[in-house]
Amino acid sequence: MILTVTLNPAFDHLLWLKDMKPGRLNRASTTKRMPGGKGVNVACALAVLGEEVIATGLLGGQACRGYEESIRKAGVTTSFVYTDQEIRTDFYVVEEGKSSQTMLIEDGSPVSQRYLNNFLLNFDRLLSICEIVEIGGSLPSGVEPKFVKELIERAKAKKKKVILDLGEPILKELLDVSGLFIVKPDVREKKILFGRDLGDPDVRMAVAKDLRSKGAEMVILNYSKLNYLVVGDGEIYEGGIECEECGILIGVQDGMLAGFINGYLSEGNIEDAFKIGLASGLATERSKVNYPTSKTQVERLLSTSKIRKVG
Amino acid sequence: MKKVKDFLTRDLTSVMPDTPLKEVAEILSWRGISGIPVVTENNEVIAFISEKDIITSLFPEQVKIENPDVIRIGNLSEIVKKLTAVGEAVVRDYMNENIICAKEETPIADIAGIMLKKGIKRLPVLRDKKLVGVVDRANLTKALIEEGSFD
Repeated sequence: MILTVTLNPAFDHLLWLKDMKPGRLNRASTTKRMPGGKGVNVACALAVLGEEVIATGLLGGQACRGYEESIRKAGVTTSFVYTDQEIRTDFYVVEEGKSSQTMLIEDGSPVSQRYLNNFLLNFDRLLSICEIVEIGGSLPSGVEPKFVKELIERAKAKKKKVILDLGEPILKELLDVSGLFIVKPDVREKKILFGRDLGDPDVRMAVAKDLRSKGAEMVILNYSKLNYLVVGDGEIYEGGIECEECGILIGVQDGMLAGFINGYLSEGNIEDAFKIGLASGLATERSKVNYPTSKTQVERLLSTSKIRKVG
Repeated sequence: MKKVKDFLTRDLTSVMPDTPLKEVAEILSWRGISGIPVVTENNEVIAFISEKDIITSLFPEQVKIENPDVIRIGNLSEIVKKLTAVGEAVVRDYMNENIICAKEETPIADIAGIMLKKGIKRLPVLRDKKLVGVVDRANLTKALIEEGSFD
């Protein structure tokens, strides 16, 4: 059983426009609203790939019952703690014929200590029924990285494998934590980590090795749009997802991570795990939601996964 | 024939015996549910607490057995005293330990029969004593209609 943690989930709200004009009235021809957040996307993709998975995190407001119901439909077991704050919404503006989307991201609302305490109690209970814990995404306003550290320590105390998919502001506070299973820094579009430019092959190799030496069994580094460097014990691979020029990339990185986890659990080696990860990422881009449509779709795309050993 | 695993709600929302009753009321209200499993720190189900358990415990003498949803209000100061007590109470004080649970492999007909006969709205589903979800009358009804036949 895999537990995914999303402390700052959101609805992903997609708006399709012919051409967005800032400062003017823009009317979307089509819209779509679906549950999002890194851990939740990973949970949905893992469930589609056949893993038993529980999604936990903090939710609030009128819409959260529908949010949970949607992800249960993907096959995920839910165990969220409700708060008195409304779930946030991230907006993605998709313009016809353009290869990139405009994102408008909300920060999470502050969460009172009472709900964080309830979350910790629930988290402890969930640890008793899972083997792997994946923690992904941003933090609600006012929640410090040390809260994530607390989750990691609790998981490690119960001998659970921990996977981190977190941004630099959180990750840099966790560099002294050892014994992690997989670390995948969330670098988004800037591709700079700890002040080092991942566009340079030597730099990204050094960054990945540094992270590994700090105690991660495997490191997945996204160094350009959808290209990755994967570093494990004596094995280093590079590879990328060949998406369509104008594809919607919501959840693609999360689909890749879910595929990698699923592949590593089933095949037991980095090479196959990476290939399955890339296929799962591509399947996410081709689906109408932020996770792959089916395991069959991922298997069908497996032949498109091209990786090379670089060390 | 469908089994519980085909239609249960895979939701692990639960409380522990020392959870304040105020929090239970909040969870039931926010989630729009009538009751919630009570679990140990290992996620083993040991009891169930419902809005009915709380109300009937508060007003046992006023509750008509044939219609527990209707309560006649008596002495106001007595009620205020009871409500103050319930504000400080925890799940352990009101939970029902005499519970019926389903397993994932239980056939739909069996679970429908139990829920109707015992007047149960919502019950926990277990795997190795641990909570894996719940079945309520709404998802049971939906599953029965989808099944198309029920013997």
